Amino acid sequence: MKPADSSGATGVRVEIDDVQSGALRPRPVPYEGKFIFLRVDDRHAGRALLRRLLPVTSGGLPDADRSGEAWVAVAFTYQGLRALGVPQESLDSFPQAFRAGMAARAELIGDVGESAPAHWEAPFGTGDVHIALSALSSDAAQLDRELKRARVAYEDTPGVQVIWQQEVRQLPTGRTTFGFRDGISHPNIEGVGLPGSNPQEAPIKAGEFILGYPDETGSLPPMPEPEVLGRNGTYAAVRKIHTNVAAWRRYLRANSSSAEEEARLAAKMVGRWPSGAPLTLTPEHDDPELAADPQRVNNFLYRENDDRGYRCPASAHIRRTNPRDSTIIGDARMHRLIRRGTTYGPPLPEGVLEDDGADRGLVGVFLGAHLERQFEFIKAEWVNDGNFIGYPGEQDPVAGHHGGTGTVTIPEKPVRRRLQNLPSFVVTRGGEYCFVPGLRALRWLAELEG
Amino acid sequence: MTATTGAGRSAHPERPGKSDGVCSEFTVFTEIKPGHADALREDLAAMADTADDERVHAAVRQIGTLHDARHVIFDNDTRFMFASVFDGSWDTYIDDFAKTVVGERFDKVFSHSVGFPGVKDPGVKDWFVAHQAPAGVFVSAYPDLTVQQIYKDQRVDEAFQEVLDTAEFRAALENPANAELVATPAFQKLLEEASA
Repeated sequence: MKPADSSGATGVRVEIDDVQSGALRPRPVPYEGKFIFLRVDDRHAGRALLRRLLPVTSGGLPDADRSGEAWVAVAFTYQGLRALGVPQESLDSFPQAFRAGMAARAELIGDVGESAPAHWEAPFGTGDVHIALSALSSDAAQLDRELKRARVAYEDTPGVQVIWQQEVRQLPTGRTTFGFRDGISHPNIEGVGLPGSNPQEAPIKAGEFILGYPDETGSLPPMPEPEVLGRNGTYAAVRKIHTNVAAWRRYLRANSSSAEEEARLAAKMVGRWPSGAPLTLTPEHDDPELAADPQRVNNFLYRENDDRGYRCPASAHIRRTNPRDSTIIGDARMHRLIRRGTTYGPPLPEGVLEDDGADRGLVGVFLGAHLERQFEFIKAEWVNDGNFIGYPGEQDPVAGHHGGTGTVTIPEKPVRRRLQNLPSFVVTRGGEYCFVPGLRALRWLAELEG
Repeated sequence: MTATTGAGRSAHPERPGKSDGVCSEFTVFTEIKPGHADALREDLAAMADTADDERVHAAVRQIGTLHDARHVIFDNDTRFMFASVFDGSWDTYIDDFAKTVVGERFDKVFSHSVGFPGVKDPGVKDWFVAHQAPAGVFVSAYPDLTVQQIYKDQRVDEAFQEVLDTAEFRAALENPANAELVATPAFQKLLEEASA
């Protein structure tokens, strides 16, 4: 196994070729992809499937020469590991949040009301989701070829059922259903050899993202046993989020007096302009040229130029979910995530303010070595509350579940603006906690006996 | 005042301890290692040293959810109590906390307790919970206020008092052009606070 170049004082060498490519690499632009959930009714069939999937599953970093390449990633829920016959003492060694599953944690991560598991789309939260496959590519033909190879693996395996599929693809605008470019930020991970998107971000310990290496606390992240199963794995929170684009547009319209003001209000809530240009660098107007420059689009911090949030409000979606060096409670580096958002469904045509009934939104994948300290913490403390920035009870304007009574404070001189009566712009349609094993671990699972 | 319901939402509802509004209490009783009471007393005295005061208050501000904390040696130097009041759930910020100067001091102080694994040990939360005794009653004088809100209220009051001291503010109040604003119930509330 060839270790990646190390960086940083500790000289940690990550066995990058054993880490699934789908875990660490940023999403391609543009992209097409598919999520497939499988149920394992027979453990031997499940293991046979894994043996067929092994050659389809890639490890290591993206190859610069193969821009059209696609990759398939394989992940397992707790129920899935059980269904495959992973020994009980090994199952018991997984962290509590993973064992409980996302549905059981719904209340604390704020999936309540219309986002509660009782309203989730089947088979989310039912315990039937055992294996989650994802395939992403910047090239539709390549994606098709990879999916065919994967399909051969599961279609020829009685005892394993496909129970859910979701196609995702970048909209022609290159933006999310809300109209904003996403997928810009990627953390700078020590010893991995992938560049972070923010040149000003000091490398974050590999153990924040991959099991088997020290994390920011200086300890090894808690790892499932045996070591071959845990090492080079990570966790993924997978979520299907419906976006209520008409409600978003209506709220902006109702709280602005011109198209220009509307665009500005939306940018204040997101933290970036539609092109992706950050408010911190260009507070008054969008700057597509800046946004198109990968050296500049994410090259900023908050504290020095915008501590009080006059440019990018502390409550803005991107500032809350990745506060960088902002003045906040706690230490932002302890709560970093790899985020991979992909869009599903048709766009709501430009200018339409009434809901057309179509299902649209995003399938989000949030990766890291600590489900509780990363995904769950960010949801509970940063998205669903504002105490960490001094606005107790205020939720993320875009991703919060406001239920019509939300407020959001936007710093302005001479007097701050306060948005009132925010509706929820997103609804959780379902989610699962998954374990994304390394390739050796995948082989170990495939070769389980008994 | 902003609604503060969200501040009490906990990512770890299974933790013991009583809450009142947005804040909770946390009390731990441990056994002092035989012969360690004097060393512990010295560490506590060093912590109380004013030379370190600024650093510690800065760290407490960084943690941002801690209202107060106390360390007590009792039972003839055989036992030790730590008690604190904080916003939200105790272990929400404990990982971050281990990285501050307060975390270092915690490590030092608790190193005199039997079985303490170290503040950076992944099992430290379980150790604390195992030594925790929930209060029979816990009551707060300001159940709606988080530490962050208290900081904010303090800043707002200081700024408000400064405005009241300016001659321009008085002149503006008496200016008939501002009569409409001054007469609003919201502004009258402000003037009531300004009047004493």
